[in-house]
Amino acid sequence: MRMGGGSGRPGGRGAAGKDAKSGPRKKFFVRRRKVCKFCAEKLEYIDWKDIKLLQGFIPERGKILPRRISGTCALHQRKLQTAIKRARSIALLPYATD
Amino acid sequence: MRLYDIVVLVTPDLADEDAAKVAGEYKKILVDGGATVVKEEPWGKRRLAFPIGRRREAHYVYWQVQSEPAAVAEAERRMGLSDQVLRHLAVRVDEELKRAAKMAERLRKKAIKRPPRPPAPPTEAAAAPAALERAERAERSES
Repeated sequence: MRMGGGSGRPGGRGAAGKDAKSGPRKKFFVRRRKVCKFCAEKLEYIDWKDIKLLQGFIPERGKILPRRISGTCALHQRKLQTAIKRARSIALLPYATD
Repeated sequence: MRLYDIVVLVTPDLADEDAAKVAGEYKKILVDGGATVVKEEPWGKRRLAFPIGRRREAHYVYWQVQSEPAAVAEAERRMGLSDQVLRHLAVRVDEELKRAAKMAERLRKKAIKRPPRPPAPPTEAAAAPAALERAERAERSES
């Protein structure tokens, strides 16, 4: 019993410290909720000929922008991926740039 | 019959008219094979995203055709043999378009059934659990 009480106390202290740290952090760091662009605009068919659209998902390096950054949903990321790969095969988009 | 998107990249060494002629040959193969051209868009001379065979641009020709698979296969085979065609791409699109239309329809129905609710103010929702937690912690530290 004593041991249980002892281990609970430092745990509580640690949590309190974390709270103090995350307090001001919340103020500066407001995370915007990411929404899948295709869901929001109700674009169901991702056309591989629409380079302007696809280019928005190609960072400077020429890679495909990951879902965790763009916020695209899994379904649309998969479709986007094939569209980009098709566009690449006929040199509409680069495979890599430096 | 299936719907295809076809793009052909013709060498920039040829003049515009000659490139159109080369592309026309493939169109003829398709049409002779029983295809009907739905859309035809010459995209003109475009810069390539990367060089292909030391060439930095190409004449792009795009068609959307309603065709049997055999005709498309034959056209693609010939494109592969030609030196004047840098790249080609034929993609079947009817099924994807159909699926997209179905999804759009479903979304539309859903929107009618359930009108979009106004987004809840995030500050309240986020603050409520945090406040609860803090209260809990305070209790714990007191004891």
